[in-house]
Parts: sequence; C-alpha cells; structure tokens
Amino acid sequence: MMTTFAPSALSGYLIVSGILLTIGLIGFFVRRNLIVMFLCTELMFQSAAIAFVAVGRYYFDYSGQVMVIFILTVAAAEAALALALVVLLHRQNNTLDAETIVELKE
Amino acid sequence: MQVSMVAIGVAASGWLIGIVTGSLSAFSEVSHGLFFIIFSLCAIAAAIRMVVHARPIYCALYFVLVVISTAGLLLMLEAEFMAFALIIVYAGAILITYMFVLMLANQAENPEEPYSQAIYDRIPREPAAAVAVGFLLLCLLTGTVTGGASSLPPEGDGASQWYVLEKLSQQFETNVLEIAPDFAWPPISEGGHFIQFSSSGPYIVSGEGTVLELDEVMLPTNTQMVGWSLVNDFPVTIELAGVILLMAMFGAAVLARRAIELTEKEKRKVILGHDSEEVGDDR
Repeated sequence: MMTTFAPSALSGYLIVSGILLTIGLIGFFVRRNLIVMFLCTELMFQSAAIAFVAVGRYYFDYSGQVMVIFILTVAAAEAALALALVVLLHRQNNTLDAETIVELKE
Repeated sequence: MQVSMVAIGVAASGWLIGIVTGSLSAFSEVSHGLFFIIFSLCAIAAAIRMVVHARPIYCALYFVLVVISTAGLLLMLEAEFMAFALIIVYAGAILITYMFVLMLANQAENPEEPYSQAIYDRIPREPAAAVAVGFLLLCLLTGTVTGGASSLPPEGDGASQWYVLEKLSQQFETNVLEIAPDFAWPPISEGGHFIQFSSSGPYIVSGEGTVLELDEVMLPTNTQMVGWSLVNDFPVTIELAGVILLMAMFGAAVLARRAIELTEKEKRKVILGHDSEEVGDDR
C-alpha cells in the first residue's frame, strides 16, 4: 500500500539514476563500436525512467510512470532506426567503428 | 599507474557504497532499504561492466542485467506495471533487436584468428576527457540532489488517488457495497467530491447520514492509475507516440531496403514491359 516516501529515500533513487546516467554518458564517449554507443544511450534512458518514477512516487503522481511508457516508445523507435542505419553503414564500410564514419552520404 | 587507478576505483566504490547505505535509514522498512541497495549496486556494477566489456554481445547481456535491476527498483517504487513492461519491452524486444544486429554485423575481422576482437572494441576513444566530463556531471547531479532534498516541496498526500476512484464510479459503488451492503448509495457530494478526508483517513457520508470509513484496499490498482493518467492527462502525447512509432517503421523500412542491381536483360524487360527474347536482335 502507498505509504509516504521520505525525501532522503527519494534522493537515494535520484543518485542511483544520476550514476547510471553518468556511466551511460562516459560509455557513449569512450566506446567506438556504434552498436555499443547506442546501448549506452539506452542506459541513459533507463536512468531517466528511474528518476521519473521516483519523483512521481514522491508526489503520488502517476505522470512519472506514464513518461516511462513514452520513454519505451522513443527507445523502441530509436532502436529500430539506429540499427537500420548501423546495418546500412556496416554493409557499406564493413566496420562498426564510429571513427571511420566521417560523412553520412552515400 | 596501475596502483593509483585501483586506489581511485576502490575509493570511488567506497564512496558509492557509503552514499547508498547512508540513505538506508530513510526507508520505513529495513527490507525495502536492503532491496534498494542490492538492486542499485547490481545495476551500477552491470552498467560499468557493460561500458568496459570488449565483446559487444556481452555488453548487450549486461544491459539486460541493468534492465532487470531497474525493474527491481521500479518494483520498490510500487510501479509494478512499468517494472514488468520494462522487462517485456526492453529485455524482451529491444535487446533482441540489438542482439540480431550484433550477430549480423559482428563477424570476425581476421579469419586466421576467429575469436579476436576488432581494434575499435579494444581501444577506447578519449577516456580521460570522458571521465572528466562524467565526473563533473556526477558532481553536479549529486550536489543538486543532496542539496535540494531538504528544500523539496511537500510530498503528496495521496488524495488524488481517491479522486480517481470516484471517477471509476462502477468500481467505487461495488467496492463500497461489498464492505457495507446496507449503505444507501450514492453518497453525499460535498465541494464537488464524494470522498471527504478526516484525520483518521478518507470517508463517505450516505444520504441517510451514515459515515463509512474507506479502506486503502479499495484504491484503484497501479495499472488502473497509470491507464487513467495516460488517457486522461496525456491524450495528445499518446497519439504523438503512435506517430513516432509509425515514422520509425517507415524510416527503418526505407533505410534497410536493398537496391537491386538489374542486369541489362532485366532492365530491358522492365522498360519494354515484355520479355526481351521476343523483341528480337535488332542490334
């Protein structure tokens, strides 16, 4: 049952979310494999989901959970488009290295 | 160099565990805090392993672990629907797409060494700059969170949940008549709401003046509340989400389409509309 939620418990969840966001950002900068770079953006989506639900839980507001549905939508759309692009680039250059893709034209 | 790196790593993880266990006392139940620590440490460890692993397949698998830990955290936050939706959609659908593409694209570069990793999976790009940026971001985030937690606006009182129950009139009536069969339905509306609040909790008053205390068991479930919020508060956004998915489908179909190379004979067939054999050799 819904009980009240202490602000320090909220900050615990927000800090975990911030740590995941930072790891995702570092991964996006550090990795050179295109697919792993997109996985790191998905990691950042996850951290945003935690933050949304935690704040929504604090205010007894379900909009936070609705936002997670939209995050799922955007993540699915992004995965479909990004992976189609990656397959295309891999077919063209035969590598997944982000460094080799300096121009996005055929 | 190695020793100092390890020392920094140990110090960082010590700080991490300290800050996470420091929030343990905030939870009303000990088991809640315990599960919070287990799930969050699991998520962070899997995320770190995912970022540093050289094999992309293992990165995807570690990301599944991150998703499952996140779902555990959402369960702790009493968001059951979203927790399971996350597992089904993320771990079940999106990650499978990633695995497919990884298998498609990740052939061994060097046939003599089939298990060697590609050079771009082994050598990082700008690690020092990335860690500096990440450190700054983490400083800002934790500073904001720990500094701002004391000055938050007051938390909600949960009254909005009861007002949703009012709008689900059929369920409201059934629930009330279940615990009090001789309650004279409908209750008196006061200030636009059937449900009133006293210090002992929510209650309703019938037309005959009987007062009925409402139990929290009668509240709508998490799925009902999310559905209500989705269609009541965000009707346009859900349409836009549908449009985004449609556009992504079109985009992926257009991008993945392979241009077919036609031979001379086939081109002639397409242009003339019939088999080139019948045209004869007029060359």
